[in-house]
Amino acid sequence: MNYVITKGLDLKLSGGAPDSRLAFVTPDTFFIRPSDFRWMTPKLHVQAGDRVHVGTPLFCDKKDERVVVVSPVMGTVREIVRGEKRVIEAVVIDRELDSDTVATVDFAEPANGQGIRKLLLQYGLWPCLRQRPFSVIPSPDVMPKSVFVPCFDSNPLAPDFCLLLRGKEVDFLSGLQMLKRAAGDVPIHLCMREGADNLLFEKAENVQRHYFSGPHPSGNVGTHIHLIDPLDKGETVWYVDPQEVARIGAFFREHRLGFANTVVLTGPAAAQTGCFTAVYGADLSDLLKEELGADKKRVISGSVLSGNKLDRFPVLGFHDRQITVIDEGGQRELIGWLLPGLRKWSLSRTFMAWLTPKRTYEVNTSLHGGRRAIMLTDVYDKVFPFDLMPLQLLKACEIKDIEQMEALGIYEVDDEDFALCELVCPSKTECQKIVREALWELAVSS
Amino acid sequence: MRKFNALFDAIDTFLRTPATVTDGRCHVRDAVDMKRIMITVMMALCPALLFGWWNVGYQHFVAVGEDVTFWSCFFYGFLKWLPLVIVTYVSGLAVEVLFAQIRKEEVAEGFFVTGFLIPMIMPPDVPLWIVAVATIFAVIFGKEVFGGTGYNFLNPALLARAFVFFAYPSVISGDNVWISNPPDAVSGATPLTLVMNGHAEAMPTTWELFVGGIPGCIGETCKIAILLGAAILLFTQVADWRIMIPVFAGGYVTAVVCQLTGLCPVAAHDQLLMGGFMFGAVFMATDPVTAAHTRTGKYIYGFLIGVFAILIRTLNKGYPEGMMLAILLMNIFAPLIDWCVVQRHIKLRQKRKRDLRFKT
Repeated sequence: MNYVITKGLDLKLSGGAPDSRLAFVTPDTFFIRPSDFRWMTPKLHVQAGDRVHVGTPLFCDKKDERVVVVSPVMGTVREIVRGEKRVIEAVVIDRELDSDTVATVDFAEPANGQGIRKLLLQYGLWPCLRQRPFSVIPSPDVMPKSVFVPCFDSNPLAPDFCLLLRGKEVDFLSGLQMLKRAAGDVPIHLCMREGADNLLFEKAENVQRHYFSGPHPSGNVGTHIHLIDPLDKGETVWYVDPQEVARIGAFFREHRLGFANTVVLTGPAAAQTGCFTAVYGADLSDLLKEELGADKKRVISGSVLSGNKLDRFPVLGFHDRQITVIDEGGQRELIGWLLPGLRKWSLSRTFMAWLTPKRTYEVNTSLHGGRRAIMLTDVYDKVFPFDLMPLQLLKACEIKDIEQMEALGIYEVDDEDFALCELVCPSKTECQKIVREALWELAVSS
Repeated sequence: MRKFNALFDAIDTFLRTPATVTDGRCHVRDAVDMKRIMITVMMALCPALLFGWWNVGYQHFVAVGEDVTFWSCFFYGFLKWLPLVIVTYVSGLAVEVLFAQIRKEEVAEGFFVTGFLIPMIMPPDVPLWIVAVATIFAVIFGKEVFGGTGYNFLNPALLARAFVFFAYPSVISGDNVWISNPPDAVSGATPLTLVMNGHAEAMPTTWELFVGGIPGCIGETCKIAILLGAAILLFTQVADWRIMIPVFAGGYVTAVVCQLTGLCPVAAHDQLLMGGFMFGAVFMATDPVTAAHTRTGKYIYGFLIGVFAILIRTLNKGYPEGMMLAILLMNIFAPLIDWCVVQRHIKLRQKRKRDLRFKT
């Protein structure tokens, strides 16, 4: 099926990653953070001084102790970093010198979906799966109604998935079949960009193919789910990143357990752009020395629209595939509200930048104004391709009116689906935070 | 000094853009903020205001029978307008700052436009104390008691005008208020009052109505200037055409019906050019806070404003300025319209989902 997204926008930034590999980044220290997994309450399996291998469980989810997060390297647990109220912030592992980040594991071929699920849980591959609604790790007992594999990312400076999957093609294809069996033979939806290099994805068997065109958020999994198999209360779908599909594929095909992801380093303020390979938790402070050292730069794991600032633990997250570096803003302009603003990016035409469409825009982290009540009521509609009412939904979220949120389709969205609304809001509303808090409220109440 | 935080902050961010940076998941932001939106609206109002200055002087000098230069007219009007705008801003901003201070919030920019609009919809000779009272009333009871800018359901500028209209009718209605300092014998009736009183034959021509140069509020007479403002608002996407165009459509349809049924002798296109219809359609009805918030709701809201404005004018001889009342009336109905649209959306969404499921 073809889908054309008309509402949305592509934020054009300089600093895209060239098609070249930097290196395999294997630092000496790894920080494994429970916060990589949304709403997980960790229960530790290790303590400081313990020796761990690739695949040794570090902690599990208190809600379901079968869901474990494993060590991606061989080494020794140096310490458990705890924050306020003794919340576990990270498990710090010192890597053993010259140790490999791939382990070979021995298991009998699983006979059915149940067996596959058991192995995924046992070897820490289950957290590769995420579930909508809520973007959390799915429960092993609840089967989804379908599985989505988004095969492109439309975020600013997002990587090309063919590049990320280079060398993992066979793993990806066999991973899809395993996934299908693990999910109980439900449809697998491959969502591709129309007209892109989809050679690999065309080879997949037993899947449904969908083609999307148009601006961001055409590559968001939320958009795909909304258009292909919309969610209602009580229903779940899984979604998996293609690299993680390949991870699962390699595990079952060659009994190879490894957590390496290819990641692009992008952004107008990045000293060097390109892609590198690392396993999750890898300490990136060496690689990002220049960027992290400069106090006028911000390093983001993810895209500028929906990412997390890297500061306390500059490490690669579990699902990360992109790191963006932009300039820190906050410069004060004299009567900025009156200046023509030839280099200011705006969806509206209130700045004269529409006169010079080919110029590059100044992009930094300035908020460009104070927080206000929502006043303009049409801006969200221009960038929100869902058949939902973004303003009304956001208001319902803000007042935590669960009944109204459900009626307006809260189960179909996640905070990243509101990223563009947050970007263009002249009242500087934190849409993603509001939606996430509302989802939390919803998850707690159900 | 902490007592004046809100004031300091307002002045500080007025002079220099704030130094705040993003701290949420979205790390870059659109350069537009409410200050920029408000300043754009004020720029869009400027053509009408400049013409208004000239027209106030022109009307005065024609009435007293003096033949003076363009600039004399212009400055006469400017000097009439200046005290009005100072009084509006001082009284209104004082209330705004006070409430911002009490709430410990930043001063919202909304009043920049409100304070700019209020003098433009007043007759030139309205006593300053009435303007001050009306402004304070409008800001407190139209806006602040509901939570401030963005939470109000009535357009504060129109509420100020409505306050004057009902509390001090003598300064804002009748034949003798629309020309500044008129000599006793001269009647300066607006086209609207002429028609209401059955003197349709004394009406200005369509062209005169369009260009301006007729008695009326400071901002409302020149339709060319208002259309220029409309162009700015629509091009910059500050105002929503989904409201503006339906107002004209609703007004025109009703005016044609009124003309055909003989309720009103005025031609339909003249109706749209008379009084504050156009000014209201472009600058007042499009206030996003008090209008309907849903796309479908906006069409309904705009259309009904047009319908009611002409109906009030035609059917109620006591209220020649139907536009003001129509907009305020629809302000009150906007949340109801939105509610109906949202309920319908919820039903349609369920149906769409069922259909999709059925297909797959």
